[in-house]
Amino acid sequence: MKKLLLVVFVLAATIFMGQQITVIGPWSGAEKDAFMPVLEKFEEQTAIEVQYQIYRAEDLANLLPAQFATKRTPGDVIFMWTSFMEKNTEHIVNLSDIIKPENFRPGALDNVTVDGEIIGIPYTGKVKPGFWYRKSFFEEHGLTEPKTWDEFVALLEDISKIEGITAPIASGNGVGWPLSDVTEHFILTFGGAELQKDLIAGNVNWTGETAKKPINKLASLLSEGYFGEPVEWTTVLEQWWQGQYGLYFMGQWLTGMVDDPSDLGVLALPGNEAVVFALDYAFIPKYSKNVDAAKQLIEFLAGPEGQTAQVEQGGHIASANGVPLDAYPPVDREIAELLEGKATVNDLDDSIGGMWQTTFWDQLKLLWVRPGRLDSVLESLQSKMP
Amino acid sequence: MELRKARISNFVVFVLPALFLLAVFVLYPTFRTIFMSFVGPEGELTLQNYQSVFASGDIINFKNIQQGQFPFGTLVHNALWIAIHLPLTTFLGLFLATLLRDVKGGAIIKSVIFLGMVMPLVVGGIMIRFMFDGNIGIVNLFFKTLGLPTQTWTAYPETSLLALIFGSVWLWTGFSMIIYSAGLETIPKTYYEAAEIDGASKLRIFFSITIPMLKPITVVVVTMTLLWELKIFDIVYVATMGGPGGSSNVLALQMYLYGFRAWDFNKAAVMAVLITGLTIFAAIPLIRSAGEENVQ
Repeated sequence: MKKLLLVVFVLAATIFMGQQITVIGPWSGAEKDAFMPVLEKFEEQTAIEVQYQIYRAEDLANLLPAQFATKRTPGDVIFMWTSFMEKNTEHIVNLSDIIKPENFRPGALDNVTVDGEIIGIPYTGKVKPGFWYRKSFFEEHGLTEPKTWDEFVALLEDISKIEGITAPIASGNGVGWPLSDVTEHFILTFGGAELQKDLIAGNVNWTGETAKKPINKLASLLSEGYFGEPVEWTTVLEQWWQGQYGLYFMGQWLTGMVDDPSDLGVLALPGNEAVVFALDYAFIPKYSKNVDAAKQLIEFLAGPEGQTAQVEQGGHIASANGVPLDAYPPVDREIAELLEGKATVNDLDDSIGGMWQTTFWDQLKLLWVRPGRLDSVLESLQSKMP
Repeated sequence: MELRKARISNFVVFVLPALFLLAVFVLYPTFRTIFMSFVGPEGELTLQNYQSVFASGDIINFKNIQQGQFPFGTLVHNALWIAIHLPLTTFLGLFLATLLRDVKGGAIIKSVIFLGMVMPLVVGGIMIRFMFDGNIGIVNLFFKTLGLPTQTWTAYPETSLLALIFGSVWLWTGFSMIIYSAGLETIPKTYYEAAEIDGASKLRIFFSITIPMLKPITVVVVTMTLLWELKIFDIVYVATMGGPGGSSNVLALQMYLYGFRAWDFNKAAVMAVLITGLTIFAAIPLIRSAGEENVQ
């Protein structure tokens, strides 16, 4: 009798116990700390318990295919590359019934819309505005922001003559994206937002003159030695902050990585009218045992309420409409306002993804040290296009 | 009759479970991988994957070989690993084992050298990256002392592969040294005493007694090193990810890239078949040597 009661109790506890879902994302450390309040707010509203697990997208790319093949999933909501989602649509829940394009910034859903179906959500994102510099460094050496390309080159020449300078522009390495971010800025400046969109869609050939022109501009600076040798990106950040380099191209998250953000200035290449708005995307695997609860979380993360909770933590820009500007910390508010006047595009290599992304990162490392091999770099990029 | 029954029951109890595990975890995946390498995008049987992989230049890049510039292709890069790393680690291991034999404190020195062998290769890869770094690398510190030019050696196409090969010598030398040390202990001391009485020089003794007596050990060392070099992955993945521009890429990493970057498991299977074929070819001397020992 006692045993029977125990079984009944366990069954009842299982039935009435609150639901639990697992979210998998790439953020650790300070970034995780900024994400947890969002999940906590969701838990308060829904009484659904959320567990957060950290997996880098690179690791998920190894793990998920095997899990999906056995109809399993390590999480109910997973933040991942859109190129992966596109390749695995048969394993992903269609979200068209709960996600509506009119509730987002224009183009935010482009990367997660496959054959008219919405397979993921755009969460918040980060902007890559241009080359960061220390205002105190510029003041000390009498440097000013350039208005034309010639002035920009002259600025680099002036910086190169400063004693103790390794190179005018720092080059981040160790991971692939720092060099690709700079390259995209050149593409957007000298080819415009349309070129970036065409390259993502595969409408423009990498070996053609249209694509070559902006990268040639970059190669000309590399040939002159204005960019430093690629160094692990956080190490070179320290070196740039200490004055070994004059400029460093990085996304807005840099503001949270320096001792004194008020000393930061940022300059885009003269003539630039578009910026990369790199969004994080999430999806629900079909094999989730809590699809309904996961959908609730997805709706929350994609909506203004969840995204407001995230942007309040700093370092993020919302993709959803309806997030008030005063929710942003002052530094991010400036960037959010800046976005209003500029064209935004998706990150080039994140959008194409797959083997091409790895090739892009790797070929740029080659271009950085051997700019004379530009043609073979572009041929490699074209040959790996999906 | 009893004996036959006992043989059958022994077979069922001791051999069948092993055969079952072998079939599930080795034979099935092997044949499945070979099959996958011949499956096309529409599920048809084809040679298209092989043609595509070999025509891509990822395996052998004839154009760059003609121009004399990296990357030469992953197969050539693995061949370079073998050509440089194999003799270096084998001879260095033999040299150290001979040098430290019967030396006071030799065991401690051997343990220190063996540390590279027990270290996870991922850690080894990170250490190589830092060793050859332009700012903080120990290699550049040494070059600076000699007044030689310095740079981040893993960042340039001409030097990245060589940096990985030379940088990994210390990781593997411990293996050959320990195996040779064990082999040296098996040579009877009387051989050396007889040779000394006959007036043979140390060099003559080394080449006429030590080297021939270590032949079975050398087969093991060379084969195991060859296999290690053919499936090298971790060090390259961590230190350079095969770059810049594929100049330090290797077969196993290319297999990974096809599988988990391009999500093209059929092309990855082609690479797996190629690596397996090369590995079996490399293991023949070891298998033959083991067979000879059994006959004796």
